[in-house]
Amino acid sequence: MKRNIFHIGTWMLMSVGLMMVSCMDEYDAPDVSNGSVTKETSVGDVTISINNLKEKYASVFTQNNAFILIEDDEIIEGVIVANDKGGNFHQTLMLAEYNAEKDFVDPSNAIVLSVKNTCLYPYFPYGQMVRVNLNGLYVGCYSKLPKIGQPYYTSSNNLRLGPILFERCKSNIYLVGKPSDYISKIHPLELKDDSHELFQNKSYQNYKNSPMLVTVTGKFEYGNDVTILAPDEAKDAGQGVDRDFKIGNTTITVRTSTQNDVSFLKMPKAAVRLTGMMTYYDGWQLQLRSVDDMEIISE
Amino acid sequence: MSKCLKLVAILLCVSGATSAQVPVDTLQSDNFDFTFSESQLDDDNDALQAVSTITSTNNDPYLGEVGYRLSPMRFRIRAYDNMYEQTYLNGLLMNDVETGRFQHSMIGGMNDATRNNEGVAGFEYNTFGLTTIGGASNINMRASAFAAGNKITLTGTNRNYVLRGMYTFATGLMDNGWAFAGTVGYRWAKEGVIEGTFYNSLSYLLSVEKLLGNHSLSLVTFGSPTERAQQGASTEEAYWLANSHYYNPYWGYQNGKKRNQRVTHEFEPTAILTWDWKIDDSKKLATSAGVKYSRFSTSSLGWNGNAYDPRPDYYKNLPSSIFDVYDLENKNNPDFLHDNPYFLSQYNDLYNFWTSSEANRQINWDRMYYVNSIQNQSGDETLYYLERRHNDQLVFTFNSTFNHNIDINNKYSLGIILNHTKGMHYKTMDDLLGGEYYYDYDKFSANEYGKSSSEAANDLRNPFKRIYEGDKFGYNYNINVNKAKAWGVIQHTNGMFDIMHGLYIEGTTIERDGKMQNGRAPQNSYGSSGTAKFLGGGGKLLMTLRPFVGNTISLGLGWDTQAPLARNAFVAPRMQSNFIDNLHNEDIFSSELSWKFHFGSLTGKFTGFFTRFKNQVEQTAFYNDQENRFTYLTMTGVSKEHYGLEGALVFRVNSKLSFDLVGTISDAKYIDNPYAQVNYEGMNSATNESLNEWLNPITDANMPLRVIMKDIKVGGTPLTAASFGVNYNINNWFLEMNVNYYDRVYLEYSAYRRLSNVLTNYTAIGSLNGTPVFNIDDGTGRSSQQILAEDGGVLFDTNGNYLGAYSPSLEKFKGGFMLDAAIGKNIRLNGGRSISINLSLQNITNNTNLRSGGFEQNRDDYYRKEGAADVAKAYKFSKNSKYFYANAFNAFLSINYKF
Repeated sequence: MKRNIFHIGTWMLMSVGLMMVSCMDEYDAPDVSNGSVTKETSVGDVTISINNLKEKYASVFTQNNAFILIEDDEIIEGVIVANDKGGNFHQTLMLAEYNAEKDFVDPSNAIVLSVKNTCLYPYFPYGQMVRVNLNGLYVGCYSKLPKIGQPYYTSSNNLRLGPILFERCKSNIYLVGKPSDYISKIHPLELKDDSHELFQNKSYQNYKNSPMLVTVTGKFEYGNDVTILAPDEAKDAGQGVDRDFKIGNTTITVRTSTQNDVSFLKMPKAAVRLTGMMTYYDGWQLQLRSVDDMEIISE
Repeated sequence: MSKCLKLVAILLCVSGATSAQVPVDTLQSDNFDFTFSESQLDDDNDALQAVSTITSTNNDPYLGEVGYRLSPMRFRIRAYDNMYEQTYLNGLLMNDVETGRFQHSMIGGMNDATRNNEGVAGFEYNTFGLTTIGGASNINMRASAFAAGNKITLTGTNRNYVLRGMYTFATGLMDNGWAFAGTVGYRWAKEGVIEGTFYNSLSYLLSVEKLLGNHSLSLVTFGSPTERAQQGASTEEAYWLANSHYYNPYWGYQNGKKRNQRVTHEFEPTAILTWDWKIDDSKKLATSAGVKYSRFSTSSLGWNGNAYDPRPDYYKNLPSSIFDVYDLENKNNPDFLHDNPYFLSQYNDLYNFWTSSEANRQINWDRMYYVNSIQNQSGDETLYYLERRHNDQLVFTFNSTFNHNIDINNKYSLGIILNHTKGMHYKTMDDLLGGEYYYDYDKFSANEYGKSSSEAANDLRNPFKRIYEGDKFGYNYNINVNKAKAWGVIQHTNGMFDIMHGLYIEGTTIERDGKMQNGRAPQNSYGSSGTAKFLGGGGKLLMTLRPFVGNTISLGLGWDTQAPLARNAFVAPRMQSNFIDNLHNEDIFSSELSWKFHFGSLTGKFTGFFTRFKNQVEQTAFYNDQENRFTYLTMTGVSKEHYGLEGALVFRVNSKLSFDLVGTISDAKYIDNPYAQVNYEGMNSATNESLNEWLNPITDANMPLRVIMKDIKVGGTPLTAASFGVNYNINNWFLEMNVNYYDRVYLEYSAYRRLSNVLTNYTAIGSLNGTPVFNIDDGTGRSSQQILAEDGGVLFDTNGNYLGAYSPSLEKFKGGFMLDAAIGKNIRLNGGRSISINLSLQNITNNTNLRSGGFEQNRDDYYRKEGAADVAKAYKFSKNSKYFYANAFNAFLSINYKF
């Protein structure tokens, strides 16, 4: 019997001892700086401004859906004035030129940087200055919008200038300073009525002023059956909904992609101030960045 | 894990205060208790769910060998699902009533305690139950069944774990009527044979028995708390880029340490009390009651809203997502790539990214922490997290069996089985990955209906709750199942002729009890679903003829009508309580004809079988990349046929040397196009209804949605397999060598890709002599017959009459050979002690190209827009299924010391 008690005791001791074995599925939190997706050292000094880049490749930007490979170290710099945080821009960053002399971010001097990733804003927050070495990338236009990207086939099987591979950020993009260095220097171009030459003068309606960060004041025009900005059932082939927006006697289009917070904004009867990225195709088109970009100013 | 260990401690305390029972069987005293089976059975709990485990059928040379030998290729006998194999522990049926299957992990690491195993084939008489078509095993864990003595086992291997230690003791039945037995073991791997996996498992068993005259009482308690990391299947392209068929996309570096996203925690502490009553020499009553509290969970990466898919082998990260590399005519040729150099350039960029560093092709944990830290700075919710999906169970079960040997020619068994199972299904926040909180609402519904909509709420009773680590979120529901079964079987033996027949009747109830009020189903998610009731039953008949000595011919016939599985009974159980449409009993007809013979040194058995399943229900739940939503797809009215030949030959040259050959050639396929019901978790009932439409291309009439499955093979197991073995014993040495051949292994199909409203619907352009004429041309130069055979399609005539449907072809893997060997030596020592050393070598030729399984991706190859022609995607999902490969060369060395 003693022998049996010894065996049971041995069994229990071993069982209890093995219970002390620690869990293997435990990890320390990493150093978060390891998560950066951009180049950790500079991509080089700026060689060209956004404006000059547009001028240099004007022959490409004036064509429809054309693009060209940049084979030299052409380096631009810009501050992010719109990203995908609100869900209304897809794989898109809007870079606006920082004017060092006047110490402000020029809202009318911008270009699109498209990157293949569905969630860019943690890596490229609003106000962040980025420097982009265009070597190996393409510049061109997508629906007359000046853009930096790489070619791809769209879901309609069209060859277009699409996003750059996300992995390219590690070799071609460098973050300069912090967003807080520039946020206070971003001021949209205020368009309270349609008297501005952008609306009146044809020579202003082209790639040179597209895109630009603006604030416009006016009213939506819509039928009685419309309740929200971009319901899914109203979307077109481009997965977006167009709404007429009247600024004085000029009508522009407010375009919103469906299935994001902006698309569920209630259609206001009142006059509103809208802030967003304005682009020109065959008329001016505005895209809000987030729900905060609509401000009701009167009933 | 610590919670699990506390439970072990409690259970141990409880089990210590118990008593005893009757001798049934004894552990074989020889030391050749090691075979391939030990190494294989103990190897991989995942694989075990996919292989046949009826292993101890001593009188069946086919079933006794085939399960073990062919397990590396996940062989399933007759391609049956494992739910058709039953496992009893001390006479208590332990198959999970929700899934139908026995969880082998609950007895993992207890090889010495589970060795007393009686296996029976589907048509075989036995004393513990009327078995299902796949047969059954009854493991005897009574303390008196263990051989008296102590045993220490140490094992080294290069499989899921690398080290194993076990200690087993047994007193045998002592003079005072008591018997005690126990085993404790530990299996461990810091990293298993598959990179990024680990294994950490304790196992324990304590069995106590007391003989009281003609009665005995036995109590056994056991469990196996385990944490283990998993291996994920991937595409051939990913394997090529990683230069290994054992690439595992589930892990990545965190702080330089490998971390796996799929970590399973499991612990199923079980206690069984058994009362055996030997009424007289011919009558026995065995009654068992058991309780099991199962805790099973697996972690998985989750991401929020538009956060980029963090899986390294996500298709957009792969080079072939850049252009259609399979289109040699139009895309992947020198002319096209010269004219469009940017495609090859991007392809090469991704190729170089994948191949330049191992870390690049694994999960980037550090980046997820980085993103969440940015979210913290702005006070926003976490974008990446690790969730833990729990499938817990509380089971009460009761079996009582009465056996009566009327005389030498007649015997019968009667029994009842009761089972109550409460399955608890929920998920918790396992790790916020450096984030501070997460909002509990459905991000996809928020996109569809608006963030402030009621549809977005996962629980209207706690809408938009902030979730922290450990909190339940997403879904929470119980499935309650009650089962009662009465059965009887009788056998009559009369010289040349035997007859066995059995009948059973069973009742099943199924109910869902929702613990959250889901915003997409506010009226039918919280509380009881109501109870679905099913009355089933069936019978079997086995007629055996012995025309002359050593020869037996048997004919078995069976018919069953059974309740559907609880796991398949609900449209979308994570979200709502609705039962699926057309839910009723499943029917099975089974038959087999066998010839068993013995001619001198040659013994063998040949069997032909035919089984038909009707009215089955099958459900798949998956993340639907096409719709970006978690999706349930249920098929009802499923019909399948399994048929083929099995054979085994054993030639004993002498008492030391024998040769054997076992093999099967069979078919298992769907024979009809079942009805389909699709439910997207992020959508309300109105939207889901519209997605279940299949519109006639001519009349626009809505037709019942179907899955075009006719002639699709059952996947995941070889339909052709053979094994040739040599066994040699001399002077306590034991040698065994097997050559195994596998062929006709098919992928697991995607039902989504075969939905009648996903397949291309073709309309005749006219008719010729009354025969509809079609213009089926996809620009690839394939004939219309080829296109239909490979891609599938549904045909309508010019009036919209349905003409027929073709299912997309299902990939068949290439066959192959595997060479295995084992050698063992027993050394007897003084005082009845002994040492045995056994070495098993598997896949000696290191064949790393044998696909053992895989599945099609639930996406198709086209962008579809209403009113526009389909546009082919650059990435071809149809050519990028995910595969598993059989293990490379591996060894298993075990040393046993008995004292």
